[in-house]
Amino acid sequence: MCYPFIFMIVNSLRSENQFLNGQGFSLASWGALFRALPVVTELLNSTLVCSAAIAIILVCSSAAGFAFAKLRFRRQAFLFLAVIGSMMVPVQSIIIPEYVNLANLHLVNNYLGPIMVYAALGTPFATFLMTAFFRGLPDELIEAGLCDGMSPVGAFWRVALPMAKPALATVAVLQFIQIWDDFLVGLLFLQEPTNRTITVGLGVLSSGRVISIPILMAGSLVSAVPAIVVYLTFQRYLVSGLTLGASR
Amino acid sequence: MAAVGAVPSGAGLDPVSAPNRRHRSGLQRTRTRTSLLLTLPGLAVVVALLIVPIGEAVYYSMTNWDGLTAQWIGPSTYLTLFQNPTFWRVLENNGLLLLSVPVAMIVPLCIAAMLHEHVWGWKVFRSVIFLPTAVSWVVIGMVAARVFAPGGAVNGVLGAVGLRSLQIDFLGHEYSALGAVAATFVWSMVGTNTIIFLTGMSTIDPAIYEAGRIDGASRLTAFLRITIPLLKRYFQFSFVITMITAFTALFSLIFVMTGGGPGYGTTTLEFFLYQQAFDIGQFGTGALIGVVLFVILFGVSLAQMRLLRGEH
Repeated sequence: MCYPFIFMIVNSLRSENQFLNGQGFSLASWGALFRALPVVTELLNSTLVCSAAIAIILVCSSAAGFAFAKLRFRRQAFLFLAVIGSMMVPVQSIIIPEYVNLANLHLVNNYLGPIMVYAALGTPFATFLMTAFFRGLPDELIEAGLCDGMSPVGAFWRVALPMAKPALATVAVLQFIQIWDDFLVGLLFLQEPTNRTITVGLGVLSSGRVISIPILMAGSLVSAVPAIVVYLTFQRYLVSGLTLGASR
Repeated sequence: MAAVGAVPSGAGLDPVSAPNRRHRSGLQRTRTRTSLLLTLPGLAVVVALLIVPIGEAVYYSMTNWDGLTAQWIGPSTYLTLFQNPTFWRVLENNGLLLLSVPVAMIVPLCIAAMLHEHVWGWKVFRSVIFLPTAVSWVVIGMVAARVFAPGGAVNGVLGAVGLRSLQIDFLGHEYSALGAVAATFVWSMVGTNTIIFLTGMSTIDPAIYEAGRIDGASRLTAFLRITIPLLKRYFQFSFVITMITAFTALFSLIFVMTGGGPGYGTTTLEFFLYQQAFDIGQFGTGALIGVVLFVILFGVSLAQMRLLRGEH
């Protein structure tokens, strides 16, 4: 399990010649990486796209999840199935019409395009998790809020949402890793070297010009580290997300 | 993903039982309006960016769309695709990859069984084994390409154990390249599935094992007769996740590791779709393959839901 990570770290610390000889260390490849790729810009792009998409997902999934779990309204079951059933739509099946639609709206090579696509891809599963979470909250809590004269929206905002922080964290962490690591959507919707995300920048680098393995390994590390740090820090939220998914 | 059919029931709040009917219906109306308000953002995003495009994909799959103009051809486009030998070659790759799904479940099952016994250092091991889940397929593919290269680790190990005759350029031949992709896929699924099985094992009441032990069951018997049957739901969940990953998440791995080659050796449906649309410009054919992919996944998911329903 650890071998690939050790391979990345060791070889990123070698120059091309040192890699071929298998001995000695230097920082030459790291310097070369920063000259070959706009690393900092790409990291910022990834951060921007990730945080905006996650914000949209959190708003959509918590509000809809609350309504599905705690309110009763017409066509509820149908709407719930429509949202949750969209989980089964694979990205590849919609990506071509999506690409043409967004290109017509001039949203290709615009951060808004991929942000919207990521938000749409993440919302169904997030809504599923949030609905499952809100269903676990006792009805009496919401009733009490309503009796105190709150509107249903007030009950959602001031009673349910503050209690949902762990679930929101789970959704955010799951989505962060998914979006940060995504390649296809980024590849199609952000095509300029200056607006690419780090994962796409790296993928394009490796498939294009043949460049030295140590530089690729340094790039791999840069792109992998943020997601690994998030994972190690928020591990318990990830596990609880999977648990909720499996036990329902 | 396991229980998509779980429609909310019983958990909603009943309309307030006020004696005044007019008041009551007024409140009902507010409720409906509020509910729509709360569900609207999510619904809008899902409808505009998932449901409408899948409808468009179905329409365009029956045209000769090039991204700008589309002429209607009709359902015969599906026949044309099914008569294309390349399509079957690609589908065969998907089928072969599916063969690795059981491996991607059995290995984690064994690891989870060991971790569940709380062997020394299990907490650290649990963190480490889940690590590939956090790493992108691009990075995984990039390292894997070196591992399977002529001078890479796999050939190194083969040489060290005296199997020099098996040393080849794994990514240079059609079937060995597909094998390398499958092995990488299994490796990166181990973490997710281990966690799923561990979670399942932690829900089993220790008293059941205790009873088994009193009845003289060995550890192996207990594992086969108690653990495995009680993990059924978790097997189904893990199967669906693993299968969906095998069908729809390997694009970037293949893009970086083999580029779909050699020949069509590692071209899967999703990669074929990308090539048809964005390399050749046949958006209609791309949309068509997308619909086929969707139908396959939908069919398998429905079948497994049926299975799950049948038991209750």
